Amino acid sequence: MPSSISSSDAHERRWWPTWLGCVIVAAGIVIGAEWYWRHAGYVPNVRDSPQLWSIQRDRVDRTRKIPLALLGASRIEFGIDMKLLRQLLPNYEPIMLAQNGRYPLAVLRDLADDENFRGTVLCDIEPTGLYKKYTDVQQPLVDYYRRQWSPSWHVHRLLLNAWQKHADVANSDFSVAAALVRLIAGDPPLRPDYFRFRTDRSGDIDYTRTDVEAAKNHFRELINRRGNLHADVEPDQWLADLEPVIEWTRRIEARGGHVIFYQSPTSGQVRVAEHVIHPPELYWNRFADRVPAALDGLANPALSAFVEPDDSHLDFRDKPAYTRALVDELVQRGWLQK
Amino acid sequence: MQFDSFTFVIFFAIALAIYNALRGWNARKWFLLSASYVFYSAWNPYFLILLAASTTLDFWIAQRIDRANDRRVRKLWISATLIVNLGVLALFKYNQFVLDNVAHALSLVGVQYVAPRFDIVLPIGISFYTFHSLSYCIDVYRRKFAPTRNWRDYALYVAFFPQLVAGPITRFTQMQPQIESPRETTRDGFSLGCALLILGLFEKSVLADSIFAPAADSFFNGVAKNGIAASWSGVLAFSGQIFCDFAGYSTCAIGTALAFGFRLPINFLFPYAAIGFSDFWRRWHISLSTWLRDYLYISLDGNRRGEFRTYVNLMLTMLIGGLWHGAAWTFVIWGGLHGLYLVVERAIREHVWKPAWVSRTSSFAYGIVTLFFVALAWVWFRSPDVVTAANAFSHLFSLEALAPLASFGATQKLALGTFFAVVCVQCVMRNRELTQDIQRVPRALLGIVLGILLALIVMSPGDNHAFIYFQF
Repeated sequence: MPSSISSSDAHERRWWPTWLGCVIVAAGIVIGAEWYWRHAGYVPNVRDSPQLWSIQRDRVDRTRKIPLALLGASRIEFGIDMKLLRQLLPNYEPIMLAQNGRYPLAVLRDLADDENFRGTVLCDIEPTGLYKKYTDVQQPLVDYYRRQWSPSWHVHRLLLNAWQKHADVANSDFSVAAALVRLIAGDPPLRPDYFRFRTDRSGDIDYTRTDVEAAKNHFRELINRRGNLHADVEPDQWLADLEPVIEWTRRIEARGGHVIFYQSPTSGQVRVAEHVIHPPELYWNRFADRVPAALDGLANPALSAFVEPDDSHLDFRDKPAYTRALVDELVQRGWLQK
Repeated sequence: MQFDSFTFVIFFAIALAIYNALRGWNARKWFLLSASYVFYSAWNPYFLILLAASTTLDFWIAQRIDRANDRRVRKLWISATLIVNLGVLALFKYNQFVLDNVAHALSLVGVQYVAPRFDIVLPIGISFYTFHSLSYCIDVYRRKFAPTRNWRDYALYVAFFPQLVAGPITRFTQMQPQIESPRETTRDGFSLGCALLILGLFEKSVLADSIFAPAADSFFNGVAKNGIAASWSGVLAFSGQIFCDFAGYSTCAIGTALAFGFRLPINFLFPYAAIGFSDFWRRWHISLSTWLRDYLYISLDGNRRGEFRTYVNLMLTMLIGGLWHGAAWTFVIWGGLHGLYLVVERAIREHVWKPAWVSRTSSFAYGIVTLFFVALAWVWFRSPDVVTAANAFSHLFSLEALAPLASFGATQKLALGTFFAVVCVQCVMRNRELTQDIQRVPRALLGIVLGILLALIVMSPGDNHAFIYFQF
């Protein structure tokens, strides 16, 4: 039985034809696949990952300006114009730490636990996101950052960003395995993305590239699936469960930082359902009384004037005006300084 | 730094260029050691201190063992290195496991004790480099060789970057001649190394991460919901994943070392084509199984004290081997199952089954039986806890959870088909030597095959999954 791998037990051979063939075949296949996807209307897009999040988390500790950590889920991720925010608030360094489809309390806890953090938090969250059962949903990001993130992965992800920005084949939806799974399942071809994602982890949704009614129906179905329009947790219990959140806020404020809780506006059925399930006077307003800064976008005329095409998210064309309105409101209340 | 990262591609290219640009062998060795430390500290620079300190201490103790003529003094020094090395391993890897079990044991006798949670990060590769150091000191103690007088050479043996974090676990006798005699990158070594690197990355990125992991994860993350068909597909998918992940890493390590002119021992030899469990352990994680044989099984007197004691030694070796993989009862049970397989196999061979009865048909049947029981044991290896494992195990044989083949999803079908292909390839390659076969393939054909594999790697992006064995 051979016990080792040897390169010297065979006489030297000419390898250049092998490597020439390898490069030609590999390049041919990859370029062919890229041409196919481009021809089918797909454009390269950055993909979110714990590594991309960790690059932003690093910036919280490294910026010389006041870090403005944006926490939340998809509404803030796709609703804030980061470039404009930087211009409007030159003393701050806006950093997107929101995660699509996940509520942000675990990240707020991590910032509270970070004794070096003295920045400002803008936490986009609605009463459902404040449920105790959702506290840990973003914890895997924090765990990844605390346990696995390293300079080596930082370099890797920066190079991957460049690759994803320029190549469709860098997108996991177009991987060989994903294509085979779709083929076996008999699934229809992928629809081109209607959103763009950036390496700063903000994104744009272009509702002209998708079926708006279908997007609206998605949220209607989520509401209908609840079966009733009652909150999962009674108001008193809900508020009692928020003691840890209030404590994290207190700790950040005690170090000189600030925490602003903020509920993004919504439209149509989503707005109606949110009001019925969590009446503000029983939920949001009582929470707002317990923390230094809380803004209900649903009750704010300037912010609630925006129309969300799918009832939940803004079209990217509305982002600049919305960002401006939000900053004006927060500055006016003295929670941010221009 | 992982082999399947852009960072490694850059590191590899720069390291190879500088290594070959340097003229003197001593300069090259210093450079290799520095590069290895950079490679290691890319994860967590603070743990480099631990690696360097442990290396220096073992280097120094080995000198003391060698110089001592009094047997008691030698025993004292070897005990010291065992206590220090295993103590550090226990501190980082097993502290919570021990405390939790003490708390549980106390609760059984009515004493309430809440184990503190230290949340200690496990230094990557600690189980591997600890075994490197231990084998060196034990071999010096056994007078197999005199210790090296050169700290750098010893440090390079421990930290040589291709094998530092997940093996193969090399012996000093394998590396010493290579470290002491000048080496360089040869055309054959570089090309064969790169071919192995591509093969290893294909196993890891395409097979383990893209095809097997989704099917395995969907089963183990929702065990209770699975029917019998989904359960088996999940278990077989994990069997494919663990092989392709770990063998992929080893192949990358061997290929990388070869590009620098070093030869590392083979770690996997088509294990899913094994006929019998002792054959499986001659093919699976060979560097660990031989380590356990030489330093544990033989230290326990192996098979020299009668049949019963042999069985006990086999069982103990496999239980400890299981615990080496992770601080959880699931790993102990996994090791225990393999110990049981080996004991039963040995007993049957000695008392029931005569070698003369072996035919091709019986070998084939026994190969299937081996694969079946190896796959069953993986349930314990993969499950996060004993309850989940027991639940998953019961689903494999639950008639209530019986579901037709049609209930397989596309992900499961792809994983099962690929696993079948992997096993078939291993059966065909069972008695062959991969690197020799690579060198025999017509160069144009080899180029085409490598080109296809490389394209599949490039077209299998996704979140980088850490190699499973990094956690050990």
